[in-house]
Amino acid sequence: MVNKFRIDRRTHLKGLGAALALPLLETMGWADTSKGKTNAPPVRLGFMYMPHGVIPDQFWPANAESFLTSPPPALESLKPVLDQCLLMKGISGVPILPFEGAPHALELSTWLTAQLPDADTRSQINIAISADQIAANFVGGFTSLRSLELATMPQTHKENQEGLNEGYYTHCSFRSPTQPVPAETNPRNVLNRLFGKTDQPGQLAKVDPLDRQLLDLVLDGAKDLRRKLPQADQHKLDEYLDSVRAVERRIAAIEYRQKEAALEKNGVASSKRNASDSPPIEIKIPVGEKRSEYMQVMCDLNVLAFQTDITRVSTYIGSTPNGVSYPELGFNDEHHSQTHHENKPEPVAKVAAITAFNIAQFAYMVKKMASLREGEGTLLDNCIMMWGSGLEDGNNHSRNNLPFIIAGKGGGTINSGRFLPDTKGNQGDLLSTILACAGIPVDRPVGIATKQITEMIHHL
Amino acid sequence: MAVSATAQEPDFAALQAQTKKVFEDRVTPFFKNYCTDCHGIYRMEGGINFAPTLAAPGASSSAKSWKQALANIKAHDMPPDDAKKQPTDEERQMFVEWMQTIKFLSPKDPGAFVIRRLTKMEYGNTLRDLFGVDPAIAAELPEEVFGEGYLNTLSPLQSEQYLSIANEVLNRVLAPKDEPPTEMQKRLFGDTPSSGSDLRAAAKSVASQLARSAYRRPASEAELERLLLVFDLAQANKLDYQSSLRLVLKAILVSPQFLFITPAKEPELDHAIVPLDDYQLASRLSYLLWATMPDAELFALADAGKLQEQSVLQAQVKRMLADTRSRALFDGFGAQWLGLMGLESKTFDTEMFPQMTTEMRAAMVDEARLFFDSIVRENRSVIEFVESDYTYLNGTLAALYGMENTITGPEMRKVQLEDTNRGGILSMPGILATTSFPNRTSPVKRGVWVLEQVLGEHVPPAPPNVPPLEKQDKQAVENLTLRMRTELHRTNPVCANCHKILDPIGFGLENFDAIGRWRDQDQTGGAIDAAGELPGEKRFSSPRELKAIIAERKDELARNLTRKLLAYALCRQLEGYDEIVVDQLMVTIAKDGYRMQNLISEIVTSYPFVNRRIHELEVPKSNGQ
Repeated sequence: MVNKFRIDRRTHLKGLGAALALPLLETMGWADTSKGKTNAPPVRLGFMYMPHGVIPDQFWPANAESFLTSPPPALESLKPVLDQCLLMKGISGVPILPFEGAPHALELSTWLTAQLPDADTRSQINIAISADQIAANFVGGFTSLRSLELATMPQTHKENQEGLNEGYYTHCSFRSPTQPVPAETNPRNVLNRLFGKTDQPGQLAKVDPLDRQLLDLVLDGAKDLRRKLPQADQHKLDEYLDSVRAVERRIAAIEYRQKEAALEKNGVASSKRNASDSPPIEIKIPVGEKRSEYMQVMCDLNVLAFQTDITRVSTYIGSTPNGVSYPELGFNDEHHSQTHHENKPEPVAKVAAITAFNIAQFAYMVKKMASLREGEGTLLDNCIMMWGSGLEDGNNHSRNNLPFIIAGKGGGTINSGRFLPDTKGNQGDLLSTILACAGIPVDRPVGIATKQITEMIHHL
Repeated sequence: MAVSATAQEPDFAALQAQTKKVFEDRVTPFFKNYCTDCHGIYRMEGGINFAPTLAAPGASSSAKSWKQALANIKAHDMPPDDAKKQPTDEERQMFVEWMQTIKFLSPKDPGAFVIRRLTKMEYGNTLRDLFGVDPAIAAELPEEVFGEGYLNTLSPLQSEQYLSIANEVLNRVLAPKDEPPTEMQKRLFGDTPSSGSDLRAAAKSVASQLARSAYRRPASEAELERLLLVFDLAQANKLDYQSSLRLVLKAILVSPQFLFITPAKEPELDHAIVPLDDYQLASRLSYLLWATMPDAELFALADAGKLQEQSVLQAQVKRMLADTRSRALFDGFGAQWLGLMGLESKTFDTEMFPQMTTEMRAAMVDEARLFFDSIVRENRSVIEFVESDYTYLNGTLAALYGMENTITGPEMRKVQLEDTNRGGILSMPGILATTSFPNRTSPVKRGVWVLEQVLGEHVPPAPPNVPPLEKQDKQAVENLTLRMRTELHRTNPVCANCHKILDPIGFGLENFDAIGRWRDQDQTGGAIDAAGELPGEKRFSSPRELKAIIAERKDELARNLTRKLLAYALCRQLEGYDEIVVDQLMVTIAKDGYRMQNLISEIVTSYPFVNRRIHELEVPKSNGQ
């Protein structure tokens, strides 16, 4: 069945409870436009993180005019796609008082929440739902994976800052204030998860036909158990119920995709892809231990997941704020040890090299997206890819001008190709605006947000 | 003072009353005089407000601001120099002393033992015990922090993996459709009943057995009925008997009763604090010491309702620690305590340290593990962690000790040490390596490590804008040894406070290079000067003497390990009443020289380990509820 009109996403927010509204798959995103000729792809949202901030004078463009013609050294790798990037100087981070002793425990965990942990229950995770998960709550039901979380280091760093739970150090995605979302670090596992245990992208994970009914019965049993338990235990079981329901939805979405794939095989045109769209990219899992290759295969997986609409939201922790080194750059120093550089040339050069390296991995990902045809443009045109750090300058832990790069046009909502040197806003404002550009209705501001940053938005 | 480490039960009420009195008579006026003008409800300088702290001094939410106040008042950082009034030294001292008694204001509270999800390691081991599969079957699950700081949450990713791992387990241990059952399958499911008999009744008895071991407690009638609905679903889809049981087992493996430690009995909800039931206690104990499910003996004791008896519990601890499964205590606790979790992947300068191969790193961790194990198994004093005359080496690791001529081959073995600079965790290569930079030692990191991990002191992070070593004036520091350069920290008053305590410890270990080899010269060619002094005019001139000074601080060493192990056992940070539990425990274990098994046994029988709070204490339930 082909729907002839596009529904208003807002009206369906409330209906997204336990059951997956399957028919929506056809109308939400990739909807046929008026004549059924061109498919308008949905907006996809990606976040990529680097800890410890940048060397400001090597990151910020000199002025708005020279941004495209002579970009600063840190942005060199982005040159071919700078006209599809937006930089804004003046986005402040969450003031971290009363946790001054925890700059690194908070740089990552406040990054997508724009909020501080609850001070009274600091030994447990209690912060806020993060922007990526707000998005996943809304669009995650339309894809087989509600969101994708990637990292290149295990999230097990044990360092206690200000009595805060160690998990704050290594997590940036929170499904609820108390539920950090773990990230996957093994590219093979990610590939398996996206496509089942096969190396051929395009094939889908197999599901047992009885699994959904089985899980329904298990959920009933869990609800019996829940009734008998004290309140705190009930909250734990709620997390269980929620996560199992997410698995049910995922199975439903996979089954739907399988039906669709079968139809395509029999010559029925897909409602989702245009004949002119690029074929799915290939994934090669690297054998060596080069950090660039590791980071890039995770980028490839992110691109592929977006390209094949397996998910529309991704968060990629390029590294966590502890102990990563970059032998590829010709030195073994740990990232953090170099960031307190006191403006001495040698460590400044090392931090600049690490920053450029991280941005180059992001550039690798967005350039690949820009090379893939989709609908009437490229994959990147339909994405909002945000790269950034939770500190401005690691030397003094400042958070006044957080470095962010926004690549992609968000389906035409982002006014890109510009540097706005005098933006007024905080990271909550930025996240709220990005969600709005991605078509995510936000019922309350993200963290400390008070407004949208309207300069970002492309006004039609 | 009267309130040192001897907080026995009968004194408790008196101590509490005394603490309250000092709080009202002296502490509250002290804060009103000197603090709350700037840190109160009308002004919250630096986001700090003592009004809620003074209103509820014993609440766990107040602990942090008390600690902050203590640090600042002790260091004379507060009130600021330009404040109108300054407290006298006597007043400051009064507050510092009162802070040592604040724990008596906490209500007797074991803490919540919220149903806990099995860790990745526990989950893999439990599958091994149930089905004989390799625990690596759980490898896909995300890595986790164990014990204190454990994230007892669940994400869709994990649930999805639990389902896929359940499928994998069943594929490995059960026969494919229409093939004869495997041995494991016969053991799990029994024979297919003859045609015409009551399949559902047979399935119920199988499900009851399966659930009992997988849930680690008897399943209730209602739980069994739920599992039979899964059986019915399979039957309705024309699956045969064995395949239907397979589906039941899959349901069990994705159920919360399997994935979490859940109570066997419905708790009495009108009590705020309840004892763990026998099965919950059996699981809590077994996952602590073995990182896996209880064995038949523990189950039998739980069935008999005997596990709550202190002597029975203590005997079980002895028995379980003698079992090889107790290596889990190192894998879960020891490795984390010693900071060895990251050694496998830590970067080292390959030109400077080509020795840091995979084998070397594995041997370093094995050395620490076998040493830790020996202290546990042989019930040695925990002081031996610092001072000891033996270790475990193989050929690879012996090279770092300069003993490669006498010790060869890949097997680790116990080695008696002649060199008294060696022996104990302070001079163990794995630990010396994790506390170094990729290309040189770090006296500061080593000092912090000893203070925090061994002596249990808190070292605040360096403030920003303070240059670490290489960042200081290059010309001036070029010709200095690392020690001389590090000492520059102490010329800056901001740094001096902490560094005067931590640097000497690090210097005392400077004879060990960044991978733990002995050396007499550092990388600049300057002679190592391992002399130093710790508070109390404790002077030393070699690692041997430094270790002796630290080993003398028995109470601190033991208290630190006790606090860390208790937090690990409880899977949470310690607070309020826990400090009183630690005090009581210290008294007991001091009696025979802080022996490791006694320490573990005391933790397992302690009030917060065998009880749990199911409602907030502040809000008593009304009768109408």
